[in-house]
Amino acid sequence: MAKYNILMHEMVPEHWLVSVKEEEKVLKTLGVTKGQLPKIRKSDPVIKALEKVEGEIIPGRMIEIVRKSRTRGIAKLYRTVIGE
Amino acid sequence: MTVLAWKDTLKKVKELIDKAPVGYCLDYDIPPDKAVKEALITITGKMFVAKAKISKIAPYQNEKNVIKKKKDKLKTLVMIEKIEEIQDDIVNYEEVNGGSVDKILSYVILSRKEEAKIIQREPMEEKLSNDVKAILHQVEKDGVDLPVKIAEQLAEAKKQYKIEGKDFDKLVKAAVEKYKETEVDPFEAVGIVGAQSIGEPGTQMTMRTFHFAGVAEMDVTLGLPRLIEIVDARKTPSTPSMTIYLSEKARGDEDKAVGLARSIESTTLLDIADIEVNTTESYVKILLDKQKMQERGLKREEILPRIKKIRMQKTTITEEENEIRLTLDEPSFKRIYQLYENLKTFQVKGLGGIKRAIVKFDQKAKEWVIYTQGSNLAGVLELKDVDFSRTRTNDIIEISQVLGVEAAREAIIEESTSTLHNAGLNTDIRHLMLVADMMTFSGVVEAIGRHGISGKKASVLARAAFEITSKHLLNAGLIGEVDRLNGVAENIIVGQPITLGTGAVKLAYRRED
Repeated sequence: MAKYNILMHEMVPEHWLVSVKEEEKVLKTLGVTKGQLPKIRKSDPVIKALEKVEGEIIPGRMIEIVRKSRTRGIAKLYRTVIGE
Repeated sequence: MTVLAWKDTLKKVKELIDKAPVGYCLDYDIPPDKAVKEALITITGKMFVAKAKISKIAPYQNEKNVIKKKKDKLKTLVMIEKIEEIQDDIVNYEEVNGGSVDKILSYVILSRKEEAKIIQREPMEEKLSNDVKAILHQVEKDGVDLPVKIAEQLAEAKKQYKIEGKDFDKLVKAAVEKYKETEVDPFEAVGIVGAQSIGEPGTQMTMRTFHFAGVAEMDVTLGLPRLIEIVDARKTPSTPSMTIYLSEKARGDEDKAVGLARSIESTTLLDIADIEVNTTESYVKILLDKQKMQERGLKREEILPRIKKIRMQKTTITEEENEIRLTLDEPSFKRIYQLYENLKTFQVKGLGGIKRAIVKFDQKAKEWVIYTQGSNLAGVLELKDVDFSRTRTNDIIEISQVLGVEAAREAIIEESTSTLHNAGLNTDIRHLMLVADMMTFSGVVEAIGRHGISGKKASVLARAAFEITSKHLLNAGLIGEVDRLNGVAENIIVGQPITLGTGAVKLAYRRED
């Protein structure tokens, strides 16, 4: 698609696809349901790039985002993939 | 590899697929090119719908047993060996001479864009030192999610003061306890605290800031207007600008930087020429301005072939010294104005959206950096000699489209902190992070306010209390909305304790059986 690898841009934090097995574990420790998590669109450029690595990502899957945090050092959070 | 691409109708494409292999006559004047072995056909100008293997491109001579695109004015014969239906986006291609494909009106020679290999970054967590990992692992057993920063400081202290064994365990324990104390309590009103913490310095800003500042002879919106712009998630900021960093090879070279800056500055035909329309004789006259052309580093020879590409088939072009005349073959009042409009915005050079680009030497990093007025992130990132990983724009919506929501969140935080910082104000970054998190919660950047987050609250009463009361109440009544009274505003309206702090605690009694 593009001449650059979007995942390497310094403003884009790490995005990892959470395996279906692990999803439940993560939700349990957070004490929330998938619907309550922040969302990320399937049409998001990062998801499109990630699909090149992981294969198709269907809505409902979870993405782990590892940010470089100014307050915490490393901060993890999760987003649910939604359609559109 | 180069491919030929042209625009056609669905009917013709279907006919070609039916009858291939076959010769096809086009009304475009395509020069024969032996390197071209493939052709792509578009109908809408956005997607390619068919891919054909071609064996020959030749000038048209009254041939038989061929398919004709039109009845007359045919100019080129293309021998099609094989043709199949495909789905391919035009954005994956670029013009051979480096330009981008915006819309195909007649034909173009294209090449497929190189694609970067997408690989994941090395995970940050693995780069942590073993000491830090050990500390994190140790506290994790007790169910504590200690920030990496604190763990790093602990590891540092362990090394520096040589704390070992039990003493160190004690230290970790104390650190965990301190950390827990600083955590936000459940049902703390973080939003209100955040709003006040940003609002208070905001009032200072209105009073004593100049809202514009010239960074290197360029206007950049600063101060309160900029802050409002960020929070409102405007489609385009009032002064979009980019900071373009150069690749390792180019960043020390002034000539290269200047050359790149010049090549991205967008130049339309109107910038370098006067355009006159003559409706009685149905022609458009382009009067090239030599001085303006020199300023932009353009030559007449470069402009001519580009102009020829627009709607070739319907016009005759006559050239004189500094005058180009495009005459319509069939006089038409409507079409002559259409042509005029096309010419006016016709981009001779550069990337769309970038009005000006200047080069400055960064004393600190010892490198040349390009600053631009106007922004075109997707275009700039594709360029050679650009360090794409650091290049950025101040247009948050554009970032969300090109780099995703997470990058947009990062941009909101960065832009708002730097705006506040420039005004000499220090707001704790956590408040701005909360704002950015809320704005990107739904996967797209949403404004705070009536059209954004506040307008999408779950509670009717809260929405009604905010703005346009009657509209919300009426709508809620019509569709039978239910208000669970979970939020603050609705509980104040009905006169109940709000669900914050101690008000959030619900008591239940246990019956003794």
